[in-house]
Amino acid sequence: MEALQCWIQGFSVATLPINLLYAFIGCVLGTLIGVLPGLGPAAGTAILIPITFNLDPIGAIIMLAAIYYGAMYGGTITSVLVNVPGEAASVITCLDGYQMAKKGRAGPALGIAAIGSFIGGTFATFALMVVSLPLADFALKFGPPEVFALLVVGLSLVTGLSGRSILAALLMTLFGLMLAMIGMDPVRGAPRFTLGIPPLYDGVGFVPVVMGLFGVGEILLSMESPVVEVIKTKISDLFPKKEEWRVSAAAIGRGTLIGFFLGLIPGVGAIIPTFVAYVVEKKVSKHPEKFGTGVIEGVASPETANNSYANGAMIPLLTLGIPGSPTLAVLMGAFIIHGLTPGPFLFKERPDVVWGLIASFYLGNIILLILNLPLVGFWAKLLEIRYQYLYPGILLFCILGAYSLNQSIFDVGVMVVFGVLGYIFRKIDWPLAPTILALILGPMMERALRTSLEMSGGDLSILVTRPISAVLLIIAVIVLISPAIRLIGQKAGKD
Amino acid sequence: MKKGILINISVVLILGFCGLALALDYPTRPITLQVPWPAGGSTDTGARILASIAEKKIGQPIVVINKVGAGSQVGLTETARQKPDGYYLGFVSVPALNTIILDPERKALFDLDSFVAIINQVIDPGLIWVKADSPYKTLKDVIEDAKKRPGEIRASTTGILGDDHLAILMMEEAANVKFRIVHFDGGAHQLTATLGGQVDVSFDNVGSVMPRVKGGQLRGLAVMDKNRSKFLPDVPTTVELGYPTVISSSSRGVLGPKGIPAPILKKIQDVFLEAMKSPEHIEKMEKAGLAIVPMIGEEYAKYLRAVHERCKPLVEKARLAK
Repeated sequence: MEALQCWIQGFSVATLPINLLYAFIGCVLGTLIGVLPGLGPAAGTAILIPITFNLDPIGAIIMLAAIYYGAMYGGTITSVLVNVPGEAASVITCLDGYQMAKKGRAGPALGIAAIGSFIGGTFATFALMVVSLPLADFALKFGPPEVFALLVVGLSLVTGLSGRSILAALLMTLFGLMLAMIGMDPVRGAPRFTLGIPPLYDGVGFVPVVMGLFGVGEILLSMESPVVEVIKTKISDLFPKKEEWRVSAAAIGRGTLIGFFLGLIPGVGAIIPTFVAYVVEKKVSKHPEKFGTGVIEGVASPETANNSYANGAMIPLLTLGIPGSPTLAVLMGAFIIHGLTPGPFLFKERPDVVWGLIASFYLGNIILLILNLPLVGFWAKLLEIRYQYLYPGILLFCILGAYSLNQSIFDVGVMVVFGVLGYIFRKIDWPLAPTILALILGPMMERALRTSLEMSGGDLSILVTRPISAVLLIIAVIVLISPAIRLIGQKAGKD
Repeated sequence: MKKGILINISVVLILGFCGLALALDYPTRPITLQVPWPAGGSTDTGARILASIAEKKIGQPIVVINKVGAGSQVGLTETARQKPDGYYLGFVSVPALNTIILDPERKALFDLDSFVAIINQVIDPGLIWVKADSPYKTLKDVIEDAKKRPGEIRASTTGILGDDHLAILMMEEAANVKFRIVHFDGGAHQLTATLGGQVDVSFDNVGSVMPRVKGGQLRGLAVMDKNRSKFLPDVPTTVELGYPTVISSSSRGVLGPKGIPAPILKKIQDVFLEAMKSPEHIEKMEKAGLAIVPMIGEEYAKYLRAVHERCKPLVEKARLAK
C-alpha cells in the first residue's frame, strides 16, 4: 500500500503543469543534443546545469533527467541518416540503420527505434518503480563500511570496463581521486592542496570540470572531423511493414531486458548494452549473415536497449547514490547542487522529488515518442546547420554557463584547462568516465572509510569482518584483476 | 605618512557617507541569506521560516542559499569574504563557529572579529538519545556499560568539534568514562546509522530529533540543560541525573561580514526582530521544536565571546585526544 501511495504522489508532482513543461523542455533539449554529433548527453547535461540554477529542485532534476534519456532517442537520427552517431550509445545503430536509409527505408528505421525506445524506457521505469522502495529500505541497513565497499565496487567496475587499457583507466581513476582531495578535508575541515587559493577551499568545481572534459573537449575534437553529407531522403511511412513488425517485436523484448539488467550494474555505461543487444540479436537470428546490410532487428534491439538502460541505471543512482555512467555522475552533481543527495535517505526525506522524478519518466517517454515520430523530419533538418556556426555558439554557452555558477572567473579557467585536458585524453584514447566518477564518489568514499575507522577504533579489519562489505570488496578485487589475468594469459599464449 | 592618514580619513568619510546614502534606500535588490548546512536540516528550516516572514517586512526578496561543507567552515569563509553592504548575510551555528576558529588545524581564514553579530534566533539544547529498541533505557545504563567496556561504546556526533562532540567530551569528563567517538556528516546520516545499529548512543539536539522521539522511533535519555525542554517534557535533564557540568546547546543566528554601515545594520536587526516576534514565526518554530531566543547586536556579540572562552579548554582536550 505504501508503494501505491508513493506512485500516486509521484504522478501528482509530475503532472503539475510547470513540471510537465520542464519535462518537455528537457526532452526537446535532449533530442537536440542527441541529434548534434560531437555533443553527447554527459556534455549536454553538464552544459545545461547552470540554466537550472534558479529553478526549484524538482523541476531542475526532472528537466536534466529528461535531457539524459532524451539524448538516447535523438542519437538514433544521426546514426541512421548520416552514419555518424549523435552520441556513443547509437554507434551500433549505424551498421544497419544507415544501410536501411540507403535503401530508402529510413522511415521505418527511425520509427522502430522510437517505438522500441518507448517500450524499453517505459518497462525500465516500471521496474524502477517496483524495486526501488524495497532496495532503498535494504540500503538503509548499510553502515559506513558497506557504503565504502560498494563505492569501491562502483569505481573498480568503471575502471575495469572502460577503455582498452586497464592501466590507463586506473591512472584516470587515481587522477579523479586526487582532484577530489583538493579542498576542505570532509571530516576534520582542514584545507588540503589548496595552495592558498581561496576558490579551491571549496574543492575543484565538479560542473566546470565536466563541462571542460566532456563539453569543450568534445567540441575541440569534433572540429577536426570532416563535414559529412546528410542523406537526402524523404522520410515517409514511419511505420514498419507487417513482416518487419514480427521480427522487431521479439528484438524489442530482448533489448528491453538486456538494457535493464545491465543498467543495474554501475560502471557498465550506455554503450555496452547496445553492443550486447546487437550481438545477441545476431546470434538468435535465422539469417545472421544479413546483419550489416540493413535488417530492422539490428536497429530495434540496440535502440531499445539503450533506453531501457538509461532508465534502469537510475536504480543504483536513486537507491544507493551510485552513478553508473558519466552522464549519471553529472546528474548526481545536479542533485547535490540543488541540496539533495541521491541515496536511500532521499526516499525518506524528499519522496516528492524521487517519485515525482520517476513518474516524470513515463511522461517524458510519451513526449519523446511524439517528438520523434511525427517530427523526425524537423530534427533531420537541424543536421544541415553548419558546424562552423554551431560550435562557437556552444563554446560561448559553456563559458557563460561556467561563469554563472558562482560568478567566478576562476571556474571559467578550470573549465578551459579541463577542456584542453579532455581533448588530449581523447586524442590518446584514455577514458574520461573513471575521472568523473572518482571526482564525485571520492569524497563520499573518504568519508565512509574514515567513519568506518572511527567505528572500529582505527582497525582496518572492520572492512572485511562484516559479511556484506567483505563480499563487495572481493567482487571489486575480481573486477580489477581479471583484465590483468587476461593480459598475462595472452602474453603466455604468444610465448 | 601624514598624507596616508589624510587619505585614510577621507576614505572613511566617503565610505561613511556612502553608507548613509545607501541606508536611505536599503534594500533596493534581493538580499542573500546563506546557510552553511544542508537544505532540510534544522538550521536551514529556521532560516527559511525567518526569511519568508522577514522578506514581507523588508520589501525585497530574501533568498536562502546553502553553502555546505566542512562543518559549516566553507559557508562561514564565504560570509566573511563578502562586501559588507547588507546584501549578503549568513546563518551561523554556535559553537561550531568558535571551535573552527580555535582549532589551528582548520586554518580558518576568519575569526570572531571578521563578523558583525546581527541577531540570534534559536537556542537548541543537546539531547542524548538511542533507538527505541536499544538495551539502554536510561542514561545510567549507558554510563554503567561504558565503565565496564571503556572505549568500546560507540557514541556519535553530527560533526567533529560541533556542540555534540563537545558534549560527549563533557560527559566523558563528568562520568569518568571513555567513548569511541564516531563523527557523521549532519543529523540525517547520524539518524540512519543509529537506526541501523552502527552506533550505540547518539548526541544531537532536541529540535533535530524531537518528532521521532515523540513518534516512538527513538528514545531520549537526557536533555543537556538546566530545565526540561517544553518539547520533550518527559525526558530528564543531565542536571537532574547528577551531571550539572554537562550543559550543551547549539544556537543559531545571523552574522554579516564586518563593516556593515550602522543604519543598514539597524534596519536588518529591526526587521529580523519584528519577524521573530510575529505569531507566524513563533507558531512555525514551535512546530519544528525550536526554542526562540532573540539576542541582538552587542548582547549577541557578548554571548559569542562567552561561548568562545568556554570552548577553549574543550577544543584543547579534543585535540589532545586525537
